[in-house]
Amino acid sequence: MSRGSGGGYDRHITIFSPEGRLFQVEYAFKAVKAAGITSIGVRGKDSVCVVTQKKVPDKLLDQTSVTHLFPITKFLGLLATGMTADARTLVQQARNEAAEFRFRYGYEMPVDVLAKWIADKSQVYTQHAYMRPLGVVAMVLGIDEENGPQLYKCDPAGHFYGHKATSAGSKEQEAINFLEKKMKNDPSFSYEETVQTAISALQSVLQEDFKATEIEVGVVRADNPIFRVLSTEEIDEHLTAISERD
Amino acid sequence: MGDSQYSFSLTTFSPSGKLVQIEHALTAVGSGQTSLGIKAANGVVIATEKKLPSILVDETSVQKIQCLTPNIGVVYSGMGPDFRVLVRKSRKLAEQYHRLYKEPIPVTQLVRETAAVMQEFTQSGGVRPFGVSLLVAGFDDSGPQLYQVDPSGSYFSWKASAMGKNVSNAKTFLEKRYTDDMELDDAVHTAILTLKEGFEGQISGKNIEIGIIGTDKKFRVLTPAEIDDYLAEVE
Repeated sequence: MSRGSGGGYDRHITIFSPEGRLFQVEYAFKAVKAAGITSIGVRGKDSVCVVTQKKVPDKLLDQTSVTHLFPITKFLGLLATGMTADARTLVQQARNEAAEFRFRYGYEMPVDVLAKWIADKSQVYTQHAYMRPLGVVAMVLGIDEENGPQLYKCDPAGHFYGHKATSAGSKEQEAINFLEKKMKNDPSFSYEETVQTAISALQSVLQEDFKATEIEVGVVRADNPIFRVLSTEEIDEHLTAISERD
Repeated sequence: MGDSQYSFSLTTFSPSGKLVQIEHALTAVGSGQTSLGIKAANGVVIATEKKLPSILVDETSVQKIQCLTPNIGVVYSGMGPDFRVLVRKSRKLAEQYHRLYKEPIPVTQLVRETAAVMQEFTQSGGVRPFGVSLLVAGFDDSGPQLYQVDPSGSYFSWKASAMGKNVSNAKTFLEKRYTDDMELDDAVHTAILTLKEGFEGQISGKNIEIGIIGTDKKFRVLTPAEIDDYLAEVE
């Protein structure tokens, strides 16, 4: 007689269920959705843009401290969707790792190397019982010296892929459907088109028009590879351009 | 390993004498994408499906078949993140061997050491087994070799093998088609036909990966264009 469910522990720590699944990892994905925020990333011909909702649940909160968009180095940005505390740990470790990389090897950590490092760390949490997986999906963006603009997404299971466009969070699937239609013919978006595609994807999926203070936008451009968070005025310009276009 | 709070093994014997976690790991492998390997008289070919979660994924950023040494390559079925860990450990083991003996590591030795790592994770405290089976293809002084390693850490040498979702159909197909005197090119064609058997959708150089090693003892992954050429020959 084989004991069916691993003594019931397969739901509590990352051991296999009888179907060969890792329930803790699946629950971590649910935690990302439960945070109630949707994020979008789009890679253009010479730029990458990420957008996320900025929900400030209490008027007394200092809005400037509510953010999911973090610079890791001057050239690498990270958009964390999911549990904010887990996100901050991840960002702290990523910042440390990127700085050590620069010191050890003498050049800036490339986007895919950082993405792989984050994904490998996440894999450790799925295999060792002493740490739970983080409830965060990380989108890493930057300009790669050889491959140009890059957008990577890392999830709690330890998977990471490069993306032409992607989404994470509560309305992830709807956003991906929207983006698949837009990117079907392999378009090569300019900077403005990249940003506007990302913002309008979010608007369409959440079915509301935003004010500039309700979203956060981060970009990197090939002609200025520094990771930048757009100011409210710049976001407003893009929002106006979108509404005039429609 | 030996994580403080979990100094006991999570993989323990059931009353019937089975290690249930390993069985579940094999189930995880069985629900992974199909992969296969064929040993020819003058080389080895390994191949896998490369189905990505969305067309938005940049397929050039993903490579499932990996090189462990210049003359040994590996492919997997199962959990990608676990595979990356094993690739990293194997590469290090190969390099340590080389540093000690000033010789490239023989295929059997690398397979044995990798399998030992996988076995450790079925017995050490606080960890689960790897959810991957590996197909290791290499060419050294003993000629072309193909090994399959399972989550339990057991390994066997194969003339041809398959793993993942379509394993039974693929193995039946391979049993019919395999001949001991196959050349590498024939083996590539057979590999493609085997993958085609269970493939959902249109097969192309973008949604499968093929790695080969011949008498030149250099393992390499074929480009999508080369795969498309082979596909045209197979039509």
